[in-house]
Amino acid sequence: MKLKDSVNKVFLKQSARAGLLLVIVAAITLEATGIVQYYFSQKGIKEEATRRAESQLEATKLKIVNIVDQAEVAVRNSIWLAQWALETPDSLYAVSRRIVENNPVIVGSTIALVPGYDKKHPLYSPYCFQAPGETGIRVSSLATDEYNYPAQEWFIKPLEEQCGYWSEPYIDVGGGDILMTTYSYPLRDRYGRIAGVLTADISLDWLTDLVGNVQVYPNAYSMMISRSGQIMVCPAESLVMRRTAQEVIADMDDTSAFSGVNRSMLAGERGSAVIRYNKDVTHIFYAPVEKTGWSMSIMVPDSEIYGNIRRMGLIVKLLQLLGLLMLILILRALMVNQLKFMDLNDRKERIESELHIASEIQMSMIPKIFPPFPERKDLDLSAAIVPAKEVGGDLYDFYIRDEKLIFCIGDVSGKGVPASLVMAVTRSLFRTVSAHESSPQRILTTMNDSMSEVNESNMFVTFFIGILDLATGHLKYCNAGHNAPILLTDAKRPLPVEANLPLGVMPGFNFKEQEIDLHYDDAMFLYTDGLTEAENLSHELFGEKRMDKVLSTRRSSDDQMVAIKEAVREFVGDAPQSDDMTMLFVHFLPESLPDQKERHLILHNDIQQIPQLAEFVETIADEAGLDQGCAMNLNLALEEAVTNVIMYAYPPKTDGLVDIEAIIRSNQLEFIISDSGTPFDPTAAPEADTTLGVEERQIGGLGIFLVRKIMDSVEYKRDGDKNILFMTKTI
Amino acid sequence: MEVNINKKDGITIVELVGRLDTPASLEVSKTLEGVQDDAGGTIVLDCSKMDYISSSGLRIFLTLRKAAAAKGGKVIVKGISNDIRNVFMMTGFLNLFQIED
Repeated sequence: MKLKDSVNKVFLKQSARAGLLLVIVAAITLEATGIVQYYFSQKGIKEEATRRAESQLEATKLKIVNIVDQAEVAVRNSIWLAQWALETPDSLYAVSRRIVENNPVIVGSTIALVPGYDKKHPLYSPYCFQAPGETGIRVSSLATDEYNYPAQEWFIKPLEEQCGYWSEPYIDVGGGDILMTTYSYPLRDRYGRIAGVLTADISLDWLTDLVGNVQVYPNAYSMMISRSGQIMVCPAESLVMRRTAQEVIADMDDTSAFSGVNRSMLAGERGSAVIRYNKDVTHIFYAPVEKTGWSMSIMVPDSEIYGNIRRMGLIVKLLQLLGLLMLILILRALMVNQLKFMDLNDRKERIESELHIASEIQMSMIPKIFPPFPERKDLDLSAAIVPAKEVGGDLYDFYIRDEKLIFCIGDVSGKGVPASLVMAVTRSLFRTVSAHESSPQRILTTMNDSMSEVNESNMFVTFFIGILDLATGHLKYCNAGHNAPILLTDAKRPLPVEANLPLGVMPGFNFKEQEIDLHYDDAMFLYTDGLTEAENLSHELFGEKRMDKVLSTRRSSDDQMVAIKEAVREFVGDAPQSDDMTMLFVHFLPESLPDQKERHLILHNDIQQIPQLAEFVETIADEAGLDQGCAMNLNLALEEAVTNVIMYAYPPKTDGLVDIEAIIRSNQLEFIISDSGTPFDPTAAPEADTTLGVEERQIGGLGIFLVRKIMDSVEYKRDGDKNILFMTKTI
Repeated sequence: MEVNINKKDGITIVELVGRLDTPASLEVSKTLEGVQDDAGGTIVLDCSKMDYISSSGLRIFLTLRKAAAAKGGKVIVKGISNDIRNVFMMTGFLNLFQIED
């Protein structure tokens, strides 16, 4: 038990360890797969986000450039016209007006002259513009002292750089608080002198919408800053045109995060960055609009890009956990089952081995050492159980009590542990009941009753018990469905047995006891059907005939046993033994038996010798103390039996002998009539029907009828070349 | 075995003396062949001195009885001992014959 427990523990530990390892390996594999998948998904998503942002940036930029280009083209195309108009400065405004009229995107235009270029006007800048809500074009002059246009960026920069210039965006206070920007182009006169600049103002109202509507992701937003960092478009409208990006960044807790990006943007670079600010992670994609010096950016919260994949990752992780959990549960269940199974197996094995031990203990009590009674010269016993592979239910047993040999043989129905258990019970019952009971019939009745009572498994035992009075040779026996033992006297013949019923079949069954007298050198062979049903490889049975051939009379039990075992072994060959084979020889060798006389008469097959038989029978009748009537009957039976032999055993006119052996005991007469004639079974002849009337009555058939009527048992047996007729008469 | 046959007043008296065993029956059956002719009348089988009868002896009795039955005569068995009466009983012969003491 302790060993088993510790083995279980070790198994449990090992299983648990293996299970744990399995779970860990599964977890690692799942996790690694998850990580790899996540990594690649993330990479893909990042690439996708970048691609989307960049294409948006590019598309937006194209739209801006498209509009801005209109202004540039309009201005440049008007340069030659303005050159001509410089000759008559008063016509300059017409050029501006034309520009505004012809280009819907341009809301205002002017030609501003370099101070002193025109002698008449030190400052000259007629401004044509489309006032909001009006259809006509108004003209005003920018050459005012308050405005001082030569100090304005849009005037200075193009002249400095000698190329077209887009101004910083600004709010046009006079024109209705519109966000504007101005394109100015240097204007030279026909002589190549710098004369001024030609400008076109465009409203940037559309820019807010255009940029504001860029929606890469639902919660992404876009910004546009000017080359100086002025915020042009931004979701926070309060900042637009009021603050620069630098100012906004300077106000932040952590300026480092955005300032790098801002620098890149201001430098007109294109790129992207991931910014961690507070706890938010933001992806910034930015690109310049080179023409105007603006920089546009799209800001996407990290959660926006990776939200799905994170959610997916979370779901995957949950599923993994669920899978692992299930794995653990399954492993646990398996382990528990395995343990249960082991336990069951273990218990089964233990029970089997214990039962096996029980049956072995029982078997070990059965006498196995031969000769079992070395001090006794009157008994020659030999017994053997040749067990089949599987535990069987055969048994034999014998012991001497009160100068009586009590012996038995039995065969439990079925095989395996149940049979061996029943065998053990049977054997133990046999010993217990026979310990103080000398009637085989009563022993079997008691055994049967107690076995039937508790026989829930419906197992039964064929059983034969014999009690041999060693002093007299008188054998009392009782059979319970077992095959008849073979009686080995001068001849071999089955012991006459009542079949009765096997033990354990029917409680209260009335077993019939029988008896017979054994004489010097008589033997009995008891066996189980494992012997006669031993099979060879071609599934033939050993059978009673083969058994009969091997058995011989007047031989020691040991020799008998060796011979029969050898014969079976030879017959069976390599075929596996399917049933136990049990054999018991009881060989009776009394020095002298009181109360018994034997008489012998040999006659020729001549009917005239019948009077000799009469004399012989007379003597026997005298010795047995029979009265006249009985003596006459005995004579009649013997005469009929012997006449049969004389008349029919030998072919006509051949000489033959008839051997008559008589055994006289106190309570029984036994006659054995044998001859060497042709096989002839007188008991098989038809019997006379003694109930018929005169006419119908047959003449023959009376002889054997009388024999049967007078004797208690009549048996014919052909043994070798001999006809043998056994007859007994109880007196 | 001694067999005495007396015919008187149409009655045939057969006296059987001794043991009617098998060898005896062989002889007796020959001796009694003539008696069968008288089966039309009354045949008395006097067994008062018969000690023993075997089945072959019984067969002779039965043969006579059958002949009598065929010819309308009758067979009387007289003076059988108890032991032989017992044999007659076993074989059902008590019912076939008229038994007289």
